[in-house]
Order: sequence, then C-alpha cells, then structure tokens
Amino acid sequence: MTVAPVVVTGLGAVCGLGVGVETVWQGALAGRAAVAPLRLFPTATHRTTLAAAVPDDAVLAAGRGWSRAERFACTAAAEAVRDLPAAVRQGARTGVFFGSSTGALFEAERFLAAILHGHEGRLRPLAAQQNDGPGSAVARHLGVRGPVATWSTACTSANVALGAALDALRAGEVDVAIAGGADELCETTYAGFNSLRAVDPQPTRPFRRTRAGLSLGEGAGVLLLETAAHARARGARVLCELAGAGRSCDAHHVSAPDPEGRGAAAAIRTALAEAGLEPAAVTFVNAHGTGTPHNDDSEAKALHAVFGARAAAIPVTSSKSLIGHLLGAAGGIEAVFTALSIVHRLVPPLAGSEPADPELGLDVVLGAPRPLPLANVGLSTNLAFGGNNAVVLLRSWQP
Amino acid sequence: MTPRDVVVTGVGCLGPWGLGLPALAAALRQGRALASPIDRSAGYHRPDAATQVAACGPLDLSPWLSPQAARRMSDLSQYAVAAARMALADAGLAAVPADRTAVALATAFGPGGFTEQLARQILDKGGKAASPFLFTDCVANAAAGQIAIDLGARGPNTTICQREAGPLLALQQGAFDVASGRADVCLAGAVDEMKPLSHAILDRFRALVRPDGQGELPRPFDRRRRGVLAGEGATVLVLESEASARARGARVLARVGPTARGFDPTAGRASFGHDAGGLAALLRTRLGRLLPEVGAVVSTAAGARQGDALEAAVLRRTFAALPPVLVPKAVHGEYGGGTLATALLALAGSDFARPAGCTEPDPDLGVVPASGRVQAARVLCSALAAGGAAAWSILEIP
Repeated sequence: MTVAPVVVTGLGAVCGLGVGVETVWQGALAGRAAVAPLRLFPTATHRTTLAAAVPDDAVLAAGRGWSRAERFACTAAAEAVRDLPAAVRQGARTGVFFGSSTGALFEAERFLAAILHGHEGRLRPLAAQQNDGPGSAVARHLGVRGPVATWSTACTSANVALGAALDALRAGEVDVAIAGGADELCETTYAGFNSLRAVDPQPTRPFRRTRAGLSLGEGAGVLLLETAAHARARGARVLCELAGAGRSCDAHHVSAPDPEGRGAAAAIRTALAEAGLEPAAVTFVNAHGTGTPHNDDSEAKALHAVFGARAAAIPVTSSKSLIGHLLGAAGGIEAVFTALSIVHRLVPPLAGSEPADPELGLDVVLGAPRPLPLANVGLSTNLAFGGNNAVVLLRSWQP
Repeated sequence: MTPRDVVVTGVGCLGPWGLGLPALAAALRQGRALASPIDRSAGYHRPDAATQVAACGPLDLSPWLSPQAARRMSDLSQYAVAAARMALADAGLAAVPADRTAVALATAFGPGGFTEQLARQILDKGGKAASPFLFTDCVANAAAGQIAIDLGARGPNTTICQREAGPLLALQQGAFDVASGRADVCLAGAVDEMKPLSHAILDRFRALVRPDGQGELPRPFDRRRRGVLAGEGATVLVLESEASARARGARVLARVGPTARGFDPTAGRASFGHDAGGLAALLRTRLGRLLPEVGAVVSTAAGARQGDALEAAVLRRTFAALPPVLVPKAVHGEYGGGTLATALLALAGSDFARPAGCTEPDPDLGVVPASGRVQAARVLCSALAAGGAAAWSILEIP
C-alpha cells in the first residue's frame, strides 16, 4: 500500500524548561532538569514537593480569564503555525487534533472548593474545565474551520491525537493538522499520583536502578502536520516525516501496565507495519520512561520484544527526566523532542549522573547528547491508565 | 488498501428510558420527557436552578455485569460495560477476537460521581486523603479501559471528549479503525453520568431549562425553548466489516456511511457560534452527493436557545426540502448517546410522537420536529457542540 507521506513543518513547545522550541531544546541538550519545588499550591503533606512547572506565564499568549492549559496550548500552537498562511489555517481543510487529560482542572478546583462549601465560585475559568478545553481554545484562537476533536486517554492522549491527525491527512479529509496536547498541574493529579505512591520524592530518575517514581510536569507540545504535497506546493520547510502511529490496549489492569509489556510491543509493531518499516530501521527511542519501577521495567521488556538483541544498542532517552510527566500532553511535547532529535541529529541525555539500571539492558543516553547518523527513525512511546498504549514514529524526510 | 465497508451488527443502550432499544422506541413513541427531580440535598444548586434530570434510575445490570465487578466501577463504567455486553449479545457475538477488537467511546464529563468524591477528599481533607482507587477510575478513559478488561479487547482503545459532538466523533473513530483493517470488531458509542454537581454546574452556565411555569421541558426548535434537559446513559454499537458480518451470517442493522467534521470558531468556550454558512458549506462539500437521498435527520437539537438556532440554520442551508427531523433529546435529554440508538430506530422504522415540549415550533427557525411513522433508508445524524465542534454521520440500510 502506498500512502501519501505526512510531514512535520512546524513545532511549538511550552514546558518546565521554558517557552519556545529553541529555549526548550537548548535546556534539553544541556540535560537540565526543570523539576523543582512547586509553588502553585501547597504540597507539604505529600510524598514529594516537586514538579516541573512552566516558569514564566508572562510570555504566554494570554486571554482574559484563560486557563493555564489554554495558554500553554495556544502559545505552543501559535509557534507551530507561525509560517502557515492565515488563509490556509482558517480554511475547512485544516483541523485540530488534540490530547488533554485534565482540561483546566487547576482553575476548576478553585470553583469546586467554593461550591462544595456552598459558596459561589468564579464561573469564567470553569468554562475551560472540560478535557476539550485546550484543543477547542486552539481552534477558536487560530480560527480553524475543519475537524476539531480531543482525545482523552490519560497519558497517551496526545499520541492518540497525533495518530488521528495522521489518519485524517492520509484519508484526504484535511491538508493541514495542528496536533498535540496540553495539560496543567493541579491538586487533583498531584494528590492522585501521590496517593498511588507513583511519585519520586527526588527528581524523577527514569531507567535508573534507584528509580522511585515520576515527577509531574505541565505544558504543551504541538506539531504542524501537512501532506507532503501540500507542504511542497506552499514551499514549506520540512523538518521530518510522521511515518506511523500505533495503538493498543493491555486489557490487564486499570492503572498498572502489563508486566511483560505485551500491549506496548503490539502498539510499536502496528506503527512499524503502518509505516512500512522494519524494527531494524529505528535509530533512537524517546521512551515513555516515567521513572516508576513498573513502567520502566515493562517498557524495557516491550523494547526487547520488538527489537530483540538490538534493543541494547538503540539510544533510549526519556524527556520526562527533564520536564516531568505532562500526562495528556506528554505525547505532544515528546514528539516535538523526537522531531528536534531528527532535525539536529542529537538525542538529549537524561538528567543526573547515576548510571542506567543494567537489568533493563538498554542503551540509555546519559551525560551528553548522543549524535545520530544521517538518516533516522525515532520512536516515541506513551503508556497510560486504562491499559492504553500509543506510539508514533518520526523519520528523516527524504523527498 | 481499499477501506472496508463497516456495518452495525448490534446495539446496547440504557438510559432514562430503561434498558435496550425497544424501551427507547417505546419512550420515543410516547414523546414524554423522561424527567425526574434532581437531588439538590448537597446544596450545589441555586434556588432558581433547574430541578429536573433525565436520570437512569435503578437499573438491573446483573445480566451483563457481576455485582463484584460493579463494586469496583463508577456508574459511568458500569453503564459502558453493560451497554457493550448488551450490544455484543444483540450482535450474536459470544466472544470477540482479543487482538482485533477496538473500543471507541465518547464521554462529555467522565465519571462525575467519583470525581466529586475525589475532589471532596482533596479539597476538604487535604491531598493526603485522596483515594488511589477513585483517582485511577476518574480518568476519562476509565470506562473504555473497563470495557477492554471485561472483554479482553486488546485493539486500539480511544476515548473522545468533545462535549455534544463526542458520540458521532467516537462512531467515526471506531468505523475508521474497522475500515482501515486495524480491528475486526469495534465497540463504539457514548456514555455519560449526570450527578448533582455536574447538573448544578451546567445550570450555572444557563445550559439547562429552569422552572418556567410551563413544565420545565426541553423544547427543541420550539418558540419557548430555554435550555436542555441534562441526561445520562450509554449507547454502544458493534461495528464490523461488512464482509465479515456477512460471512458469519450476522443481522446487519446499518452501514456506517460517509462523515463530516468541522468547527465554528465564532463559538465561545461554553456557547454555540453562529457561522451556519461555514458549517453548511463544509457539510455540503463532504456529503453533498448523498444529501438528496437522506430520508431522516436525527438532530442534535436539545432545546438550547442558540444551539437549536444554529442547527436549524445549518439544516435549512443544507437541504432544499427538509426530510423528517427527529429530536430525541426532547425525550431522553442531552448526553449519553441516545441519538445513535435513535438513528437505528429510524432505519428500522419506528413511530415517533411529537415531543411534549415541541408544540409551538419557532417560526424563525423553520424546522418542525417530525412525528408519526419514520422509516428511512438513509439517516443523517448531526452533532453540534458548545465550544464550536461539529460532526455529522450518515447511517444507511446496506
């Protein structure tokens, strides 16, 4: 089967490392962890007091009463579409495909705290509370008229949205897709992951022997996707290709991954098959790598199942080591990192100097950015509550 | 690869009408709004707030869900799993091919009851009081995950949250997963639960019809419409490729036809927009060839002042002569996916009463809800969402 190639022509990023792709990328190459004491709400009674909050609200595209997630989403989307003509952006053949798991829960919590005690709360921020809040805000902010939808599959949301955008582009429904995800830190997810004892009291240490959980983060990652023909016709600069996507479900447990990583392996195999690629083509992995003992173990098994002996020789990184876990936005920001790795032929290292857990049998990128060969295929994986697995494959663009 | 034709071979639905498609058909035949008083004892509601909800009431889900399994689930997950099991039984599928079965579900609000309990723990007693059990079942995709666990369905598993457009977007996602060959069976549909807190919040946004001295009824396309009746329930369809459905001798209820999706950027965060021209142009571009053969419309109209006006304007710009327009949300309320089940009734042929709230059609809108016998070989389902999203799907007799 030949399918029309889909290319990445713009990127936008907001996360704990800063606002804007260049700032974020320089932070990533330096292996700088944005995980720090959190001041957004009280954390003193929790297992951890850390998170990777977005540092500077002032530079974000703002609207009166906008939620943090809306501002993250619209700022990243505006950066991604910077070079897209307004006439294309506002036509019916451009869509928004977004992922979010918390909507504007931080602002909604203020309202809920009031209404639960019989008080009136401020209604305005609550209007953005629903999970489609950030994606719909992007569509309104940019004047989009094509398909707009939000996938909410917990920590795979944005990867699922990227796959849906790929489907719509290949099916000819749209020429252009603004795709990614946004989520904001809030007390509910912070308390929830603490209650599960899934957070590390220290900054998260993915793929390390002493790993003890995740660090939460927030932000948005957005990719501008086009059919290659559309990008060529408008003379757009192509960064890389979105070659494939794969989804599966463990059907095992609501919150724990399949210990053998079978579902994750199935999703990776599906993405490879849909991209027409062999496992041997993959040159690096931006792993889900949450830093929880179970996740990293299960994910390593999935990589070994798909790549066999070569799994030990593929550079593996986890963006969450630097920017924390962005939950429904994770797939968006991690796809941005994966695209930048292909453009610059560098895989950012994990933060910290502790060696990788030898039991995982992976080539974890530590200390300094890892140079990549001329042509690359990057795999970005996400696993989620509900047993949900979603991965995307990006590769060097070869017209 | 040529996309495969996708058909509906089973339906499971539950809601304020009770259990199953025949019960929904009976409710639509009567036309009475399935409203009952909302529990206001928690004090969330303002004195002048809406008093009615289209609630499921006590339902015996034990044929599809063991009491032990039910105890571990939110109402939302229970509705979804029961509807999925009901749909598979209706399709005559005793088991599903594990690696080839997908789930595509929509929910506007997710598990509202569990979310409220969790919020109370965290906001009243501090974050330390959060229950890990509640937290993990509070994610929007918990219901789809529970269906997967219950059935052992390891195929693509998606949950879409796009308010009122969700049910059609989920149907489209599920049909695409089958058409593209990623799955052989897909459980696709929508589920929502409507608890007092969600109800009170919707009321704060003036989305709901409030006591008006005229029965507090949802009145789609009516001169007196003042808001929607918030509802709950689940509708799940079994989707299969037409070839495999025929091969196993399955009864085919409908073929999933072409679709359209769009957005109205003139909408506000919690309101409907006014760009009927843009939406109608998109609809004509995507589905124009088929529109003359549409025998009935299952409308998104639910009694919202601007939402219904937008829907009416889109329909009038789309059809030279309007086919019968059904407004099931006047009976079962907004949310819960009952429109998907209603579309199957319109294809099979069913009687519809003029809903109780729809006796004075708004002359400015120019759409009069259909009544009497409706049987159409091709049905257009419409979904316009607050916030701007729009989706349409055609269901047809193969």
